[in-house]
Amino acid sequence: MNEYALGQGLWEMGFAAAVPFTLVALSAMAVLLADLWLLPSQKRALPWAALAGVLLSAASVAFLWNEEATGFGGAIRLDRFSAFFAMVFLLGTGLVVLLSSAYARREGVERGEYYALLLFGTSGAMLMASAVELVTFFLGLEILSVSLYVLSGFFRQRPASAEAAAKYFILGAFASAFLLYGIALFYGASGSTTYAALRESFGSAAFPYSHGLLALAASGLLLIGLAFKLGAVPFHMWVPDTYEGAPTTITAYMSVVSKAAAAAAFIRVFGASLSSLQQDTSAVLWVLAVVTMTLGNVVAIAQTNIKRMLAYSSIAHAGYLLVALTAAGEAGYSSVLFYVLAYVFMTLGAFGVVSLVRKGEGGADAGAEALDISHYSGLAGRHGLLAAAMAVFMVSLSGIPPTAGFFAKFYVFSAAVRAGEVGLAIIGVLNSLVSVYFYMRIVFLMYMKEETVPVRGSRSRAGWVALAACVLGTLLLGVLPSSFARLATESIASIF
Amino acid sequence: MNWSELLSAPLAFKMLAAAAVVFAIGAVALKNVFHCALSLAAMFFALSGVFVLLDADFLAVVQILVYVGAIVVLMIFAIVLTERITSASVRQTNYLVIPGVLLCIALLAGLVSVIRASSWPSLESGPQQDTIKIIGRQLLSTHVEAFEVASVLLLAALVGAVFLGKEITRK
Repeated sequence: MNEYALGQGLWEMGFAAAVPFTLVALSAMAVLLADLWLLPSQKRALPWAALAGVLLSAASVAFLWNEEATGFGGAIRLDRFSAFFAMVFLLGTGLVVLLSSAYARREGVERGEYYALLLFGTSGAMLMASAVELVTFFLGLEILSVSLYVLSGFFRQRPASAEAAAKYFILGAFASAFLLYGIALFYGASGSTTYAALRESFGSAAFPYSHGLLALAASGLLLIGLAFKLGAVPFHMWVPDTYEGAPTTITAYMSVVSKAAAAAAFIRVFGASLSSLQQDTSAVLWVLAVVTMTLGNVVAIAQTNIKRMLAYSSIAHAGYLLVALTAAGEAGYSSVLFYVLAYVFMTLGAFGVVSLVRKGEGGADAGAEALDISHYSGLAGRHGLLAAAMAVFMVSLSGIPPTAGFFAKFYVFSAAVRAGEVGLAIIGVLNSLVSVYFYMRIVFLMYMKEETVPVRGSRSRAGWVALAACVLGTLLLGVLPSSFARLATESIASIF
Repeated sequence: MNWSELLSAPLAFKMLAAAAVVFAIGAVALKNVFHCALSLAAMFFALSGVFVLLDADFLAVVQILVYVGAIVVLMIFAIVLTERITSASVRQTNYLVIPGVLLCIALLAGLVSVIRASSWPSLESGPQQDTIKIIGRQLLSTHVEAFEVASVLLLAALVGAVFLGKEITRK
């Protein structure tokens, strides 16, 4: 076989669809091997090796941007939708790696496993967004979950970190079991695990009543697994403890990548394949959206630890995502994509600032992470740039223009109104008003209060680059939203 | 399946199924951790018997090899090596046991009613003979992507387990 024929044969098998995922998984292995060869003094190269893997995969996604391919007997698909999500995951991972380069060294966890598991997790997330078959999707979810279980317990000597990992692992395994039961029922109902078969079995409204009952039961079980990953109420119990105990950079990664991956898988399964059940799923999602937004925002007010506050804020944001998923349709789903992109910048930025701020000289625990909200008092006086960045992220998270958060919420709520869910949109806007209080409290503390505990910001250049990118992204999406919104719409159009 | 079918099912099936349920309850209700692990092993044996009666011979063997041979043995090793808990009696439930049981019963009732009401279109092909050959062929054709990706999952889990299990070196 000559080279051309081999290349074409691989192309026809759909290898192109697996390229971005495979590159990330291979670079995870490369990082592990590099860790063996590097001397302790050379471990600083690890984040750069991981970053190279991320960039390599991003380049492959960009190269295949206009391609469409279905690989491996209809298991995974490369289209604009999976390319969009791959870019979101790679962007999030790249920023987390940059933030980690200083954080991990200072906390003594700069190891090959850390970066390798980050990359493995990203490969799982990419698989979740590009899978068009339930077993492959499940394996992607498990790769992401297993990596996160270990990463959230990465501070092995800290009880809080072990608690974070144990809670996440036990509840996560339980949620996976529900999801797997749902997959088994879908397999029984359609005789195949591909999304195409699901669409064929349930696509027309003509399927018999008993069949529909089976599809509803299976959808419900699948929904439990995805709602757990999304951190939606009542499957949110693990979120505050895990987010608080895990290393801050991992918390940032978890809140961005695993939520986006769950949303992507949801759209592929329920939006594109089971659209005939949309009325029933929307009824369930309506309730989930309302309780998730409300609980997240109300409980966030009472928090004194900034990571816990951001954890509850991430629950509230999962609620906004659920509003968009309730609205469904192309408008609803494309607002999910815009929201996810905006969320990467503002949440990673907020957690990034938290990871760069430490207690200063004088105290007994100088150099420890400054995690209490009161530590942010008077930050503007000493670290003007850090405080300004944090203020941008807080403004964006509460949804005030001209930031990404405003347009993200605007698209979500207008999609809800267009879908006839006016009540839901009103509840969402009211919740958004509640959230202004606890986000603005941080800004108030930073600018209006005197310093109580001396804090110092890290001078890590990589960390600053990541923060600058987050600020830039947050403002860019807030000033020029239309081109990004068009990108989201095009990506959604490719799967319908 | 309806109840008359269940009544006419072979006696062996009924006994194995009942044994599986009893041992499963034992695994979560017994007070001694060691007894729980043994009960779990017995449950897996009974379940693999059920699989044999359903013509799923490969699944039955895998069930014994993986669950009894590896997982339960590992659990028993862990219990034996952790001296203090071998003979200690532990309560496996907390104050949420009653709501939990009620919720589980509701879930069971819901699933059973759905399963009984469904027409199961995929059942038409009937039981297969020579399942190992079919499974092997499926793994390397239809599910080749999942087969490959499973290795990435196992590698990630291995790396994580080694990291978490390693001795902590204090500086």
